[in-house]
Amino acid sequence: MADPKNQSSFMSSLCFGSIEEDLILPYPQMKQPERETLKNIIGSLEQLLKPHEKDFRVWDRAGELPPAFIEELKQFGLFSLVIPEAFGGMGLSATAYSRTLQEAAKYDASVSVTVGAHSSIGMRGLLLFGTDAQKQKYLPKLATGEMIAAFCLTEPGAGSDAASITTTAVKEGDHWVLNGNKLWITNGGIAQFFTVFAKTGGVGERGHMTAFIVTRDLAGISTGHHEDKMGLRASNTTTVHFDNVKVPLENVLGEEGKGFKVAMKILNSGRTGLGGGTVGAMKKLIELSTKQAKERVQFGKPIAEYGLVRQKLGHMVVECFAAESAVNMVNHFIDSGHEEYAVEAAITKVFGTEALWRTADEALQIAGGNGFMCEFPYERMVRDSRINRIFEGTNEILRLFIALTAMNEVGGELKELASSLKGVFDNPIKGFGVLSEYALRRASLATSVVKREKGAFTKLHPAVKEKQEQFQELTRDLAAAVDRILRKHGKNIIGKQFATKRLADIMIDLFVLASTLSRVSTAISEKGATACTKELEILEVFSGQVRRRVKSNFNKIDDNDDEHIKSLADHALDAEGYTWDNV
Amino acid sequence: MLFPMKILVTAKRVEDPESKIKVKPDGTGIVPEGLKYKINPFDEIAVEEALRLVAKHKGETVVVSIGGKEVHEQLRHAMAMGVDRAVWVNHTGPLDQMAIAGLLKKVCEKEKPDMAILGKQSIDDDQNQVGQYMAEWLGWGQATFASKHESLDSDAEKSKTPALVVGADGKTVKVVREVDGGLGTVECTLPAVVTTDLRLNQPRYAPLPGIMKAKSKPIEELTPAGLGVDVAPKLTVLKMSAPAPRKAGIKVPDVATLMQKLKTEAKVI
Repeated sequence: MADPKNQSSFMSSLCFGSIEEDLILPYPQMKQPERETLKNIIGSLEQLLKPHEKDFRVWDRAGELPPAFIEELKQFGLFSLVIPEAFGGMGLSATAYSRTLQEAAKYDASVSVTVGAHSSIGMRGLLLFGTDAQKQKYLPKLATGEMIAAFCLTEPGAGSDAASITTTAVKEGDHWVLNGNKLWITNGGIAQFFTVFAKTGGVGERGHMTAFIVTRDLAGISTGHHEDKMGLRASNTTTVHFDNVKVPLENVLGEEGKGFKVAMKILNSGRTGLGGGTVGAMKKLIELSTKQAKERVQFGKPIAEYGLVRQKLGHMVVECFAAESAVNMVNHFIDSGHEEYAVEAAITKVFGTEALWRTADEALQIAGGNGFMCEFPYERMVRDSRINRIFEGTNEILRLFIALTAMNEVGGELKELASSLKGVFDNPIKGFGVLSEYALRRASLATSVVKREKGAFTKLHPAVKEKQEQFQELTRDLAAAVDRILRKHGKNIIGKQFATKRLADIMIDLFVLASTLSRVSTAISEKGATACTKELEILEVFSGQVRRRVKSNFNKIDDNDDEHIKSLADHALDAEGYTWDNV
Repeated sequence: MLFPMKILVTAKRVEDPESKIKVKPDGTGIVPEGLKYKINPFDEIAVEEALRLVAKHKGETVVVSIGGKEVHEQLRHAMAMGVDRAVWVNHTGPLDQMAIAGLLKKVCEKEKPDMAILGKQSIDDDQNQVGQYMAEWLGWGQATFASKHESLDSDAEKSKTPALVVGADGKTVKVVREVDGGLGTVECTLPAVVTTDLRLNQPRYAPLPGIMKAKSKPIEELTPAGLGVDVAPKLTVLKMSAPAPRKAGIKVPDVATLMQKLKTEAKVI
């Protein structure tokens, strides 16, 4: 592999029709010493959490993880996972961290979110942007859990639109004065360390913000009551208020004024933690559902013997395998130092959280009436998994982000191409004569944007050849579609959310399929095809699903109801409701 | 004053009883794919007891395991719980209880511990013989099935007090044993072999800092040849088979029928 830092992301390349197979092949595997450590961590974590299995239900109802249990988590060292060894932490790789969160998520989502909010986002800014002095000062305390961390970006008026925050920080002498209110802060009530974003620009300077380290001991910080939530009820969520809090100058995190970038980087790198959590929950649900299906007898047979139950179980397995493949792949990008992974990380978040939602819903369905009863774990897992599609970037915002970011490079090249061809128009005598706009479009399509090198895999195992060819065909279609949509809308693409979402859905499917293809091919190369019949079946099913979905999305680029849907939405908005009641 | 103790413990790698264990169709063994492994739970109790004794008396703990490189996982687990160092007898292939006891005897002669604490049996083949062979061959005292007077919910248990009591001169150990219908107490001269029963203690879990520390603790590699032990099995497993599935029960309409069936069909009353 060339210097990984200088490469485009896998998905950016794919939009050009190039398959950067060296980024995803062979499918990553953990090194033996880390695998050994991880197994020990997982074993211990099971010993820690399993005795509390009944408690988790009670704590969900009560809406709190008791302080004694949080203390147990601290003693265990669960807050030290991502902190480097030099600062008293475990120094886990992204892969091992994500796998550890999976394990916690199997027992209780509130636990995994408490740990995740601390490690993935709460103190991630310190790891990514902190100075040595800042790290020395805080990381050892964060590792022992003496300080629990929280990430404070969201405000009552600033959710997805993070740049619109109104919390302000004003420099006065040797400190900043912080004022404002933050909303829905995970760990808000139990945190001693806050990564806070505040506006530091003048009026009208939108997006000029700075990240600060704020500690609980500073005067003027208060937290609201613990929010009563649909799910993750035991995880602590509060408002956090800053009333003339004097923050020392040295507590600026990253560069002054670059807070937005800091926030985005933290969220990008934190997303795989959430992806890992969703995979853990899916594994647990498959375990619960298979047992339930074998135990529950109706019409004289266990319901596991009925087609419609098996159909659900089969789909759960495929989705879990696919999501896990993609999560591992992105963790591998991070661990190998490849810096362009924001799009792929967002893909794992969207795919993982939606796959978990479907899985939780179907698991509850298999359990039937029992699924609806609080005595069983299904309803809690459904409630707990709902927020995943909303927080850390809503799946809608992330879809726009995925498509627009991945297409960005193609857009850039198109612009260059257009300007270089412009000379031809200016001087037609020297050039090709008069070109119609149509010819221009054809010419550039034939030049370089679409037909790039690396349109095919060369390193996949022959046993997956058919799937390989299908993937390559879909990649060519993607590149053509990106090219066409960008030509059609140009920079107005920003406002074309229907079209963008379709492209995003195609990209999500293709990245998850590429990860799955890599995983199955690598497994066959290692163990032989006869030992991988189940993996090949998974690939068969998932690849088929993706092909049909993607084809359908391609068709919808031209053949769709977008205008009618918009019009009907307008109608409902106008009437503020439904207007065909017949009474 | 308390005398420092050197304690040797074992950590056998066994199939996790919670993973789904299937016998191969040809009966030559179990299907290894998809199985999880862990430290033999009885050995884990032995590790816990050794750590408690050394916490009280000071001294050193050493853990031994026999197997391929994969047993490092179990050695690290024991060291993550707090054991100081590990001895790995590198051997792949079948071993019978005599071979295992022979290897452990040699390791004991080399390490010269004051006490060897082993699980009373391993949960994979449930032989319950190694500790007894070892003690006999070493000429040491033995106390099998060590248990405790108090319940596992007692305060002593919560404060992690050791259940084995070493004499004031450091030359004997008093062990409560589980016997048919109750508990008995034996006293052995040290060095001795102790095997642990289920109700001796509640093993600790390894905290993450312990797992980190274990990464740099030493594992010494030994081989059967190096120890001069012939491990050719004297006992071979001919065939394995899964227990026959339980037959479905029946429902009886009333107590009278039940009594009648118990008398005539089940013949239990």
